[in-house]
Amino acid sequence: MSLLSAQDEQVLKQHLSAIEKPVTVLLFTQTIGGSESGVVAKQVLDEVARLNDKISVVEKSFVLDTDDRSKYGVTLAPAIVILSDGQDTRMRMYGAPTGYEFVGLIEAILIAGTGNVDLEDDTLALLAALDKPTHIQVFSTPT
Amino acid sequence: MAFVSPHVTSTAIEAMEFSELSRKFRVTGVPKTIVNDTVEIMGALPEDLFVRAALQIPDDEQAAQT
Repeated sequence: MSLLSAQDEQVLKQHLSAIEKPVTVLLFTQTIGGSESGVVAKQVLDEVARLNDKISVVEKSFVLDTDDRSKYGVTLAPAIVILSDGQDTRMRMYGAPTGYEFVGLIEAILIAGTGNVDLEDDTLALLAALDKPTHIQVFSTPT
Repeated sequence: MAFVSPHVTSTAIEAMEFSELSRKFRVTGVPKTIVNDTVEIMGALPEDLFVRAALQIPDDEQAAQT
């Protein structure tokens, strides 16, 4: 059964049509001993990727793909890492992208695929001046 | 912010599923933001306040520049 309704798919497809660059979504899952949310994450990502041929999903093993884990700093599963034209966007998600998290997923895919960010000029100026590693972790719940 | 600056990494975390991490950072309500494991930002803030809090830029610096 689909998680997205036909109506949702239609609206999403229109939003995603703005994408110009290939977006690769890496999904790190743990098959044995992993949580059910890895399965849900895979289904959500597959349904989104079906709506636009520039979006692809690549599943990685949290246990076996240790080089990729360390490359992208993945410490938990399921984890989503978003690449824009093969380049790391440094946007990550831990957990299944459902509820409010789904909005974040779509926004991240749109940023990666269009290069457009909706930030104020002051924010862009502060980010341009930033020279130290900054890890921002945002905790939220699906509802 | 992560897309714009090569120095920024952003991670959205499902707080209920990763309860150990949530406990570590004393997440009792959402959204809660943790920067470099030390700075805590509670709730959803307007963009200018959030960015200054996340990048640890004091408000008085802005006042000094103007």
